[in-house]
Amino acid sequence: MKNNSDFKSYKKEIMGAAYNERLRLALSRAVKSFRANVKNALKKYPHTEKLADEVLEIKKKAIPQMEKLAQQAVAVIEENNGKGYIARTAEEALGIISDLVGTKKLIVKGKSMTSEEIGLREHLEEAGNEVYETDLGEFIIQKMGSRPMHILSPAIHVPREDVARLFSKIMGQEIAPDAEIADMVAAAREYLRDKYFRADIGISGANVVAAETGTLFIIENEGNIRLATSAPPVHIALVGMEKLVPSLSDAFKVSEVTWRYANYTIPSYVSMVSGPSKTGDIEKVTTYGAHGPREFHVIFLDGGRTRLAKYPLLRQALYCLRCGGCLYECPVFAVTAGHFGDKYFTGIGAVWAAIVNQDLEKAASLAYTCLTCGRCRQRCPVKIDVPEMIIELRKLLAEGEKE
Amino acid sequence: MGSDLVPSGLKYLADNVITKQNILGVSKEQGARWARKLALPPAAETVFFAGCGYQFSPQLEVLMSLARGTDKSVIGSELPMRFARFQKKLGLNLPGIYSNALSSGAAVEVKPLEAAVKVLRKLGIQPGYLAENEPCCGATLYHAGLQSKFAENARKAYKTLKKAGVRQIIGVVPYCIHALKTLFPLFIDGYDIEVKHFLEIVAEKISLLKLRYPHPVRVTYHDPCQMVRYMNLVEEPRRILRSIEGVNLVEPEWTHGEWATCCGGGGGFETVFPELSEVLAVNRVNELLETKPNIIVTHCPGCIMQLKDGLRKLKVKNVEVLDLMEIVAAAMET
Repeated sequence: MKNNSDFKSYKKEIMGAAYNERLRLALSRAVKSFRANVKNALKKYPHTEKLADEVLEIKKKAIPQMEKLAQQAVAVIEENNGKGYIARTAEEALGIISDLVGTKKLIVKGKSMTSEEIGLREHLEEAGNEVYETDLGEFIIQKMGSRPMHILSPAIHVPREDVARLFSKIMGQEIAPDAEIADMVAAAREYLRDKYFRADIGISGANVVAAETGTLFIIENEGNIRLATSAPPVHIALVGMEKLVPSLSDAFKVSEVTWRYANYTIPSYVSMVSGPSKTGDIEKVTTYGAHGPREFHVIFLDGGRTRLAKYPLLRQALYCLRCGGCLYECPVFAVTAGHFGDKYFTGIGAVWAAIVNQDLEKAASLAYTCLTCGRCRQRCPVKIDVPEMIIELRKLLAEGEKE
Repeated sequence: MGSDLVPSGLKYLADNVITKQNILGVSKEQGARWARKLALPPAAETVFFAGCGYQFSPQLEVLMSLARGTDKSVIGSELPMRFARFQKKLGLNLPGIYSNALSSGAAVEVKPLEAAVKVLRKLGIQPGYLAENEPCCGATLYHAGLQSKFAENARKAYKTLKKAGVRQIIGVVPYCIHALKTLFPLFIDGYDIEVKHFLEIVAEKISLLKLRYPHPVRVTYHDPCQMVRYMNLVEEPRRILRSIEGVNLVEPEWTHGEWATCCGGGGGFETVFPELSEVLAVNRVNELLETKPNIIVTHCPGCIMQLKDGLRKLKVKNVEVLDLMEIVAAAMET
């Protein structure tokens, strides 16, 4: 390795994680319940596997034309009185959002890996805003000053006893280590309740976007995103360009497959948002900002995605629905959680580090941490061949790129 | 050679493959020693491909225990691998250490290969064996990312095989067989050698064998990644085990077949992360122990090493790790 100290400190980090009993306890509980849940979900809705094949075809077609789809979505969002943007880089996206937000604002946020990717929360906090993560897992992470360790369950590495201790500290009410999980959930609800209604801005991501209507599909169970995207007067959404698919019916398919493999048999909420809140009830005059947000802004982030789309094998990383299923099957992740990762985790994280973030040292550390055992591929609804990508990536790292 | 981004553990193995045609960089004669008393013909249309893994099991164990010892110390990562790379410069005699490991009774480790040949003969197949002329499949180069070196090695290996008149290969090491069967054709035009895995042949002809294990045993099977997720050999080992009288096959609840957990030794991983790899071995062994087996059966020299290490680490003494080839050979003799 060129930068041996980087590799050494990475190795130290993952070994530290591997010997962390708390982490291992939390992960082993999670893996067990995930497998049982997905098994039941697929048994109950057996059409999902076929639908997943269709989704793979949709992604194969959508990824090479991300740019076109983004432009189409921006145009239709603007026709619908929202604002659409295409940000080439993370900095550009941060700039657009900073300009919209300004300073001294109260912001409620839904969980979004894309906003983690560009460090949005930290950026807004540094600009003097008060930002609340409202997803329970993300809220825990924010309050712990940690970083997400799983794409869907960011606090997957924190056992309940540790949550009780944390909540007791920040909420000024004692929660016993052996308290019911329901009590912890209730405490978070109470703590966040008024923030939604006092907030100036709500920020979310999206799981899928239908380009033809500019509709964001947002899957969740807690209801925090519903509140965060409808109570404040402004809704800003940050979405990776790889989330775009051509039609509404494509988006429905991608959504269903995503939630099923994410072990939400039936999610409580799927929000579809296509524009600002409006009414024509008085004299048929369209007026914006009825009960929901008056302003609706969608930022599509390229940030290296169109570059990645040009690699025939590695582009598979963009098919990822972020269901998180592969992570539960990775033997290394089972002991290290997100420490085996960068912006994204495990093998896909390695590809992301190399091509999207162009951090070759990090990419090499991750690429050679992959066992290439292939169990993730077994789980993946869109059959992303991680071992194949990793071998290809190692080739690029070892031999350089050949034109 | 290669880029600075390739971890030194893998570079060491790759250097050995390129210069000495085996992952350890020892003499080919040392590797071929196991077959001496079997008197296998040195040339034949169908040859038995022994590969590195089983031949060098004892040496690899020495290397890994060195690596794991150092990996835990403060000195840092991959040191033994660097030692190994610069063994001559440093005057460290690794081949000597390996030979000692061999003479200290560890030679029993090549039993799986002997067992495989016996089984094949019983099935009426008389394979040849190229011994010290057997080329290295170079799979390690491929996994390290050194693809042009792999391609170069593959073309050389193909030439060697053709020159020896080989038309069919029967092999046992999963990594080698996957390379010879699936990867070689990607880099060699008109590749015309038929490659079969030992277990395919045995499973096909299992009815010809009357198999009874010397005593009743509870057996669990660990699927090597390359076997199950690269070559799709899921049913074959199970069909074989089920046809042995006295063997009671018990499987972990979820992690078997295509869902089997990697032993922690995949793709040279153990040379880059010796210590983490041991943690993973312990995890896998724990999953397998839930079935309360007398024997953990598998079919990969890397997996065997890892699983043994996991058992040792857990201080479990009454469970054995055996290769499927050994089980079949033992069941044939009664």
